[in-house]
Amino acid sequence: MLLPMSGTGGDTMNESVRGDVVAEGMSPFRLGLARVRGNRAAVVAFWVVMFFVFVAIFAPVLVKIFNIDPYALDREAINDFGLPAGPMGGISWDHPLGVEPGTGRDILGRLMYGARISLLVGAIGTILTTVVGVTLGMIAGLRRGFIDSLISRLGDVTLAFPSLLLIIALANPMTQRLESLGVPSGNTARITYIMTVLTLFGWVYMARLVRGQVLSLREREFVEAARSFGAGTGHLVFKQLLPNLWPQIIVFVSLSLPGFVALEATLSFLGVGLLAPAASWGIMLGDSVRYYRAAPTYLFIPGVTLMALVLAFNLLGDGLRDAFDPRSDRQQL
Amino acid sequence: MRSTALAVVALVGLVAGACGGSGDGVQSGEESGGLSATYDGVGEGGTLYVLTNSEGASTLDPQRVYTGAELGAWGSTFTRTLTSYKPVAGKDGTSLVADMATDLGTASDDLKTWSFTLRDGVTWEDGSEVTCADVAYGVSRTFGSEVTAFDGPQYAVSYLDIPEGDYDTGSAYPGPWLATEEEQALFDEAVSCDGKTITFKLAVPVADFAYTVSLLAFAPVPEAQDTADQYALKPFSNGPFKIESYEEGKELVLVRNENWNKDSDEVRSPKVDKIVWQFGLDETVIDERMLADAGDDKNAIVYGGILPENLQTVFGDDTLKDRRTDGFDGFVTYTMINVKTVSCLEVRQALWLAIDREALRTAAGGPFTGEFASSFVAPLLTTDYEPAKLVEGLNPDGTPNLEAAIAKMEEAKEKCPEVYAKATEDGLRFDHPDTDTWKKYMAIWIDSLGAAGIKIVDNPIEGSKYYATINGDQGDLMRAGWAADWANASTVIPELFGQGGGFNYHNNEEDAAFADFQAKVDEAKLETDRGAQAKLWKELNQYVIDQVWSIPGSATKAQNLVGSNVRGAYNWLPFGWYNLGDLGLAG
Repeated sequence: MLLPMSGTGGDTMNESVRGDVVAEGMSPFRLGLARVRGNRAAVVAFWVVMFFVFVAIFAPVLVKIFNIDPYALDREAINDFGLPAGPMGGISWDHPLGVEPGTGRDILGRLMYGARISLLVGAIGTILTTVVGVTLGMIAGLRRGFIDSLISRLGDVTLAFPSLLLIIALANPMTQRLESLGVPSGNTARITYIMTVLTLFGWVYMARLVRGQVLSLREREFVEAARSFGAGTGHLVFKQLLPNLWPQIIVFVSLSLPGFVALEATLSFLGVGLLAPAASWGIMLGDSVRYYRAAPTYLFIPGVTLMALVLAFNLLGDGLRDAFDPRSDRQQL
Repeated sequence: MRSTALAVVALVGLVAGACGGSGDGVQSGEESGGLSATYDGVGEGGTLYVLTNSEGASTLDPQRVYTGAELGAWGSTFTRTLTSYKPVAGKDGTSLVADMATDLGTASDDLKTWSFTLRDGVTWEDGSEVTCADVAYGVSRTFGSEVTAFDGPQYAVSYLDIPEGDYDTGSAYPGPWLATEEEQALFDEAVSCDGKTITFKLAVPVADFAYTVSLLAFAPVPEAQDTADQYALKPFSNGPFKIESYEEGKELVLVRNENWNKDSDEVRSPKVDKIVWQFGLDETVIDERMLADAGDDKNAIVYGGILPENLQTVFGDDTLKDRRTDGFDGFVTYTMINVKTVSCLEVRQALWLAIDREALRTAAGGPFTGEFASSFVAPLLTTDYEPAKLVEGLNPDGTPNLEAAIAKMEEAKEKCPEVYAKATEDGLRFDHPDTDTWKKYMAIWIDSLGAAGIKIVDNPIEGSKYYATINGDQGDLMRAGWAADWANASTVIPELFGQGGGFNYHNNEEDAAFADFQAKVDEAKLETDRGAQAKLWKELNQYVIDQVWSIPGSATKAQNLVGSNVRGAYNWLPFGWYNLGDLGLAG
């Protein structure tokens, strides 16, 4: 059986409860958090994610501290073939992770700046798809009837689109269109484009999830009760339904974020990326493939970094799902 | 000739630097290919493989081919022309010999009428004779732009004495597929047959027309076999090989043409039975296979060259000495400046002084990729080549001269404030093919010009659409590469900088210096004394360099590795690649 849900979504009771599971009287949110803390993989993943976020946010400061400039060309670090001078892809005190072949730019610095782009695209993409998805799903679930059909069919059509092909094909014309609409040209327009298309194609899953939940929740006693007291739609949405959707939304967000990070790298790899001299993991990976013989570390390092971040997000997401998914209640409690 | 789609990526990318640098003890220098360039121990028969990354031939249609290596490859295998180049290594390879014609043609005194007589016994793959009408028909196809789409050289259109008209080519003749009887008469007037003798009437005197007809655009096509745009997939052969099958993305198989008459051909001496092109292979895989040299790869050559990142491996290993080549490929890369939007000489000079050519060369793969160009004419064109006097203050080692560049910008601030403001505030738009390597070149452009206070706006264009795009919309700076169509700078200077030049995107007509330049170009074109003409080309080249309409990049070099059984793999200078049809395998 599900725990009784508080109709207000508040968590005023049992402030003292912490650590291991004392189920009674805890809000689902707190209960979930308590369970996550017990999952060691999820905790490690959380700190890895936090580390990346920290590096991304403070990249400009960190590169100053370590004296590595991601944009500075270093002729000394590459030989006359343009390949990194010295063993291991030019790893040295000046360049802790080696240098990029051809230019001698520092790989560590570029990874740090690349993390900014990856996490920015991941975060904004997730926020936008969540907002759009939750809104549309909520409308569909509450209104039902014609509007529900309309939104659901729209979702089906969106999913049927070969989205990756479309994103690549439309990149240049749409970026130009955005620029002509007044979006600052260059990377701002390119990132805006990527965000827009990711949102356009990514909202459906969230909308379906929310719609399904709303359809089931709206028949529940506490909603009926609120309605019988004459609660308006606003109250129903914000005070009754949303608080009960948070667990699912958090799980979904934590699982879709790594998808966006990987997708940004994929798009950059395929050439729908940023303009020089910006750094992006996808651009680094795309370029490094050619050097697997001459400078294997150049392929290895960005690859492992991307893998680490995506893996960490996924483990964290799994941990959150285990904690918040109602079905796991039965197993763990 | 234009660079190939491949070369757009491989060659246009380069800006090279001074010679002689060494990396890890490996020297860049001319290397002929050792044993593999000779015919020592060559046998008859066998299958030769050509490994390439491209998805297919750019075209097999003789009237549409314009890529150096392909001109040589198709010419030496299945498309004979009136004249062609001597099949030998070295400078001698640029000398012209009679092919289907009995000699190098006869010109009238005013150089406006040229006639060639066909040899006896020149046959098509079905055994029928190649007639004068076939040659005329082939030439007429160049005019049919609805099929040939301006892919090939347009010399037939610009030289032949056919009135100007409203068709896309600018001619009154629309090509054989659309022409009415009257329109066809216009062409037949200009290109006429008398028995085995074909006569070309030209609108302008052309001293080196015998070279012009060596282009495959002047090759014969039998009207009965012409399938218009489908002809590019299976052209009819009159050479020692014919097309057995061709599938894009997969392979092109050339087999011996039994109806090729050896006695009629003094140019070609085929050795292998079969040539198989394998398309769409991964570049890195190709290099690995060539280095491993196992099985059929011993009988393989590569179309596309060694990846820059593998040069150290290939040229650092002396056991490969007999299989590798290193030499000029005939191309010069350069950065076109839009003279209309960058109308200030001082800004253009500052661009040249500030750009770090050494860094660009290193990013491309180092000294192996080429030498700093000091002329738009490649060093291979020995008659017309002369290093020009470059802008004052330019560092010969390719590193930027920032002081001089900043001084020029200060001058520009006074003299042309508008262009100065554009260059320093709005930025100059740089058009280039969108590749990973180009992202690095752009980082260098942005960095080194930024140091001189010049802002660059990056504008990557999808590689396959690059030339088509800048044809319609020119940026302020554009990347390009060019090689001569034949051994005369008449196919370089007027094409790149002259009025109506086929590859002139400089918008330089409005420059105050243009009228003088164009007058001299016209004079040089009509000059029949080759020595005097060469002198004019050298002066004109200096003129362009003084005006900085374009920034010369590098005279590029190409490196190649062949399988250990391959023989006769010398660099055929007119085409910058092997003489494909004459390649043999150790017996």
